[in-house]
Amino acid sequence: MTTAGDVSALLRRVAGRDRSAFAALYDATSAKLYGVVLRILQRRDLADDVLQEVYIRIWERAVDYDADKGTPIAWMAAIARNRALDEVRRKNPVSIEDAPETLEIAGDDPSPLDNLSLSQDMQRLARCLDGLEADKRDMVLLAYRQGLSREELAERYARPVPTIKTWLRRSLAQLRDCLGP
Amino acid sequence: MNDREDIDGLAAEYVLGTLDAGERAEVAARRQREDDLDTAIGAWERRLAPLAEAVPPARPPAGLFQKIEARLANAAGSATGTGQVIELERRVRRWRNLAAAASAVAACLLVVIGVREMVRPQTPSSYVAVFQKDDVSPAFLLSVDLETRMLSIRMVAAERPPGKTYQLWIATEQSGGVPQSLGLIEERADITRTVLTAYDPTVVQKATFGVSLEPAGGSPTGRPTGPALHAKLIPSPR
Repeated sequence: MTTAGDVSALLRRVAGRDRSAFAALYDATSAKLYGVVLRILQRRDLADDVLQEVYIRIWERAVDYDADKGTPIAWMAAIARNRALDEVRRKNPVSIEDAPETLEIAGDDPSPLDNLSLSQDMQRLARCLDGLEADKRDMVLLAYRQGLSREELAERYARPVPTIKTWLRRSLAQLRDCLGP
Repeated sequence: MNDREDIDGLAAEYVLGTLDAGERAEVAARRQREDDLDTAIGAWERRLAPLAEAVPPARPPAGLFQKIEARLANAAGSATGTGQVIELERRVRRWRNLAAAASAVAACLLVVIGVREMVRPQTPSSYVAVFQKDDVSPAFLLSVDLETRMLSIRMVAAERPPGKTYQLWIATEQSGGVPQSLGLIEERADITRTVLTAYDPTVVQKATFGVSLEPAGGSPTGRPTGPALHAKLIPSPR
């Protein structure tokens, strides 16, 4: 099992242009990042391309990683999500009918408090998420994990897009007040 | 809603992923120069990161890492060096952060002093031009080796709107300041070109470069038609 400390050490060596550390970093983290991009893109061919770009970016930007600003895996996951979201937004929006998979996921996600092995950060976030109304919480989870846009959420919840935007902003502000800076 | 709130809401939605392509590109460009937006995005990435932890992992196909290595090897081998451009890109970002940290006047001084300190060109033939505009506009980084007349351009913080393309131009004294095309800027790829070999190095050094937004396939008229950014060459910082 690779620990966060191991990943930090690998990332530092990658910043020093160490190719073998880069291979080890890929082995330790690629399943996690592939899971993240695949969930958003829902297509393996796109996910394969995006994952390549993500690791090239990690190689190029490793020197910019700042341990004060979060764990290495969170930094890498942010790069992966950003690339996947850019890619999924570039495409024509997939209608929900075309992607039946997306219909199942909200119900499938465990209620965040069910899993006691979750990290402390996750438990704290889970408590704050539970402070949101159920549909608002689902909306946040769907957007974050599956990359649903405002339009897709509007279709799904049968509400106008501006309403969705208002709900999202309010929910996020409530989360921030609960979590702190 | 005040500005502070608005920036935080925008950062939150950027990280959540609900913005559309245009808004995402705008935020990605703005965060390069707006420290408070960049900081707010970082804070939201930390707040929501545990949600990514909970996403089930999936094994990528075998052989994917070899493809990544091959792409890195190609990039490292290209003539003017992607690595060098990325290095420059990082410096430009630092200058911007440095500049943003100080007041406007102090920032100018810092940059001048900083540049004086830092600009000790190892190869005096190496020049760079930074295309930059406030707010939503894209930024590009051009590097030119006057000796070999090799040119390389990279999109630093630019997203190409659908159906559009960016085109690179040069305007020289010889051409009476009329822009001449140096080709289209392909998405995501660095262009490395020998298009400047026809020009005299001293002419290139004094030329004005431009990047304009054009219909797909490039300007239909042979002259820039869309909104443009301009920049001149400065000695490449080392």
